[in-house]
Amino acid sequence: MSKTDDTQTATTAGTGAGTDLSSIRVDDPIVEIRNASVTFDMERGESRVLDEVSLDIERDEILGIVGESGSGKSMFASALLDAIVNPGVLTGDVTYHPQGDAEVDVLGLSPEQLRELRWEEISMVFQGAQSSFNPTITIRAHFEETIEAHNYNMEQAMAHARELLSDLYMDPDRVLDSYPHELSGGMQQRTLIALSLVLEPNVLVMDEPTAALDLLMQRSILSLLEDLQEKYDLSIVFITHDLPLVAGLADRLAVMYAFEFVEIGPASDLIGNPTHPYTRALLKAVPNLDTPLSEMRPIDGMAPDPVDVPQGCSYHPRCPLADETCRAEDPTYHDVTSDHQSACFHWEDSAEAIPLSTDGEHGETQAFAGEQSDEPVVSLEDVDVHFDQVSDGGLLSVFQEPDTVHAVDDISLDVYENDVVTLVGESGCGKTTLGKAVIGAQRPTDGTVAYRGQDIWEAKDSRRETDIPYEHIRRSLQMIHQDPGSSLNPNRKVAASLKAPLKRWEPDMDPDDRQERILSLLEYVGMSPPGDYAQRYPHQLSGGEKQRVALIRALLMNPDVILADEAVSALDVSLRVEVMDLMLELQDLFDTSYVFISHNLSNARYFSGKAGGRIGVMYLGELVEIGPAEQIINDPQHPYTKVLRWSTADLDIEETVEDPPLRGIDIPDPVDPPSGCRFHTRCPEAREACTRAQPTLDGHDDGTEHRTACFREYDESHEYWESEPIVDDADDADVAVGGSDSDARTDE
Amino acid sequence: MSIEETVPDGGTITGDEASADTPFGTVSSGTMSRRDRYKMLANEWVIAPFKILWDDWRARVGTLIILAYVLMGTVGVRLVDPPRVGEGDRLVSPFEDMSHPLGTDNMGNDIFAQIVHATPPMLEMIVAGAVFTTVMAVVVGTLSGYKGGWTDQLLMTFNDILMTIPGLPLVIVIAVILEPRSPWLVGVIITVNAWAGLARAIRSQVLTLREESYVEASRLMGISTPQIVMKDIMPGLMPYILVNFVNSARSVIFASVGLYFLGILPFTELNWGVMMNLSYETGGALYTWETAHWLLAPMVTIVILSFGLILFSQGTDRVFNPRVRARHTSAADPEEGDEDMSGEVATHIRG
Repeated sequence: MSKTDDTQTATTAGTGAGTDLSSIRVDDPIVEIRNASVTFDMERGESRVLDEVSLDIERDEILGIVGESGSGKSMFASALLDAIVNPGVLTGDVTYHPQGDAEVDVLGLSPEQLRELRWEEISMVFQGAQSSFNPTITIRAHFEETIEAHNYNMEQAMAHARELLSDLYMDPDRVLDSYPHELSGGMQQRTLIALSLVLEPNVLVMDEPTAALDLLMQRSILSLLEDLQEKYDLSIVFITHDLPLVAGLADRLAVMYAFEFVEIGPASDLIGNPTHPYTRALLKAVPNLDTPLSEMRPIDGMAPDPVDVPQGCSYHPRCPLADETCRAEDPTYHDVTSDHQSACFHWEDSAEAIPLSTDGEHGETQAFAGEQSDEPVVSLEDVDVHFDQVSDGGLLSVFQEPDTVHAVDDISLDVYENDVVTLVGESGCGKTTLGKAVIGAQRPTDGTVAYRGQDIWEAKDSRRETDIPYEHIRRSLQMIHQDPGSSLNPNRKVAASLKAPLKRWEPDMDPDDRQERILSLLEYVGMSPPGDYAQRYPHQLSGGEKQRVALIRALLMNPDVILADEAVSALDVSLRVEVMDLMLELQDLFDTSYVFISHNLSNARYFSGKAGGRIGVMYLGELVEIGPAEQIINDPQHPYTKVLRWSTADLDIEETVEDPPLRGIDIPDPVDPPSGCRFHTRCPEAREACTRAQPTLDGHDDGTEHRTACFREYDESHEYWESEPIVDDADDADVAVGGSDSDARTDE
Repeated sequence: MSIEETVPDGGTITGDEASADTPFGTVSSGTMSRRDRYKMLANEWVIAPFKILWDDWRARVGTLIILAYVLMGTVGVRLVDPPRVGEGDRLVSPFEDMSHPLGTDNMGNDIFAQIVHATPPMLEMIVAGAVFTTVMAVVVGTLSGYKGGWTDQLLMTFNDILMTIPGLPLVIVIAVILEPRSPWLVGVIITVNAWAGLARAIRSQVLTLREESYVEASRLMGISTPQIVMKDIMPGLMPYILVNFVNSARSVIFASVGLYFLGILPFTELNWGVMMNLSYETGGALYTWETAHWLLAPMVTIVILSFGLILFSQGTDRVFNPRVRARHTSAADPEEGDEDMSGEVATHIRG
């Protein structure tokens, strides 16, 4: 069937079969999508990864598209540009309205016209900035290449490029002459945005543009986006899995589930009064800083497979409101208000059935605070970890002193039994290195790491018997890795991976018992039938399942402390709460402690908060604040913690994205950290004294567990209160922002 | 104070602590007989890989070709009489006289019989050379890659020295000095420094694999280094090692034939290279059609064997691919095979 035929049938089917398109129309659309479907032919059937989607994008709006991974949101972005990769087949209609009544049928364009449309009219920013640049040419060459390919006036366009770069708080000269690797992740992403805007397009499609970045950088980029949108009259389509992130930014939101839009509406309406059960469940499942911990709930069940989407409403297997109609018929859009539509038969009842706030009714949810011991299990004293960075000066580098990266600087930390310590910080702040030092996986350059009073590294090195043998220590300190993809050996079945620790530590165990134990544990973490899962290879598991297996593997060692390095960051938002709950439940069962590493304050709050644990905030290798979870979240003392708190998007739509409460958005180079307090280069409260002396966690003792390394906590007699505030000149500000991070990120 | 007292949960879990309500306490209800277990192992390690191999036409053809040569070298030598001088007329053309299917040489030796009887030493040479190369490269490569530090520096210095010595002159010198007669020894001499390049390549692969999270997890679980290398590192390298095993087998064939052709190795036994040398030197096979079959027959024999090895190596790549394995190990469960397609769907969606 030819494309035109298809389009016609689709249009007639659309109007005839009662898909009420009037409800999703907007007054002045810049792009209209009608009945767009994307299908892949596969061995086991047709895989429909975009299912009859219709949507209008209004001129000069920011449209947020939210969905879990695998919900088809990236397909939607590709469909807008007719850029579906082979062998995918796109059907339907995409109409672009450059001005007023003019119409462009995107799917009917010739390859040459399509090439012109992309970038000049509609451009796109992808997720991984690092892989979007060619590492062998400079940033300037990237710009010139793009301008040349579209036959624009080089001088004018380059001038525009420089303007864009400085709009994004970067120094144009420095950035243009750099190679991609010389820029940090955040700068690369901002440069990519500038590159996508250099030909002055009308529509900007952003596919998870900030997913790979730190929260702080995400938030800063979002605030810049808002300015850009106003200045250049852009229509922005912002695609993300992170609902709170776009809530404050977008004018309208569209929620995707199982390859179609289930709810569309103005951001405030959709957050304030969501009517689709999925939207409501998603709002409750996303860890954030405001919702009481007891009200967060994971969504039961799993998102459907694109080959086998359930009959009727695709959400019905997971929906508490599902009835016969839902199972039989696909719901059409129902108007909640004139511009808020919901694809649910029960949109009127959903608010009652799935309350967003439980008003304390569910207050009895378990808090997992176990008995914590008085004696620390692991105790770090003045630990330093430094890495020598080999400079690339060729032969001559032999004569140079290697650069030293201060990954961890002079940190003392105690971890007790049944304890939960969460380390939070931007990437490159040394939180993973500190975590590894705690479990004895990273030898400290200086200082001691002791397990129940026994120095770990002494136990390892000494030939004579130590109080606690190294083998025992090794067994007691375990780790769960960040990336579910590489945490399990791809060549071994789940059963084989799980048997390894048992074979090592209980070699006498009967093979049948071993098998049974593994099966029952798999069953316990919700992977059933366990016999089936045990025989699978890692590639046959989803990300969440892999993380569960990694968790069981660590627990089979019966450890005292488990380091969970960003263990839930790679998982879907709706899964995070579930996996964190599981981890805490198992902690209760096995009496372990967790050192949980996260760059995300919401996850940290959920994990530490629910177990009554602590949160430690790290900045450039130092612990700047540590204390009970809720206190850190609700009453942050250190200016940096306040910044982190600011950067964590919450669901408050009233709040606009403001300017960050700090003076520079890029992190200084860890090879050459600032003198005195390391945060003084970005701190809004910094004074002259901060550049000279370094505040410590113990510098002031108010007898609580909540400690902060900042002179503002010191008493009035401290010289800080007398010294001059640091004020940047207006001219210097830009340079400080762009130039402060002189080299590529060394860590990560 | 003993450790068990301070660490109530640090000891074994099999004891009293293993109460019924924790999944750790589980003890098996039924037992699996020894025979079932062997059956399972056989299925996993022998039957499944063979099925995977058989599924791929290249591997199938390659296996058949290699099998034919092995038969020729074992059974063939018993069925075909060794060639004798003057057993037929001089320079009979092939396919004329069915008692000499490939014709005869200038002394009346049967060419087919020569080819058959040259096979066993050739196979021995191939096996010796390929095994020597692979074992040396794998041992040196993984050891220096995984251990790092001084071990790495020492091994790699030695390795680099071997790599810089030009191979052919070295082999010629050794061959002239030792005058090797045993095909096993010839195989080893030919590959005496051929493994160095492979060792370096394997080392670089080990360097990336050792940084994988699952290797670190194994290290933290206190699993011994040999175990980690065997279970976590080697499987990831196997496709590469196997392909190189077969490639070095091919290079042994070419190198030995070349050396025999050049007359560097002593003519003590029948060899395809010796045949080619004689056909060229005494028969003038390059200039006249009369003796061309004498040269072509061993050449074709070599080409077919080399072709078979290439096909086989391309097929073996799949044996160690977990995605393919998953489809075969549980052939009884058709669902399983579909499962690994979901990965592809996900890539499409993200793409």
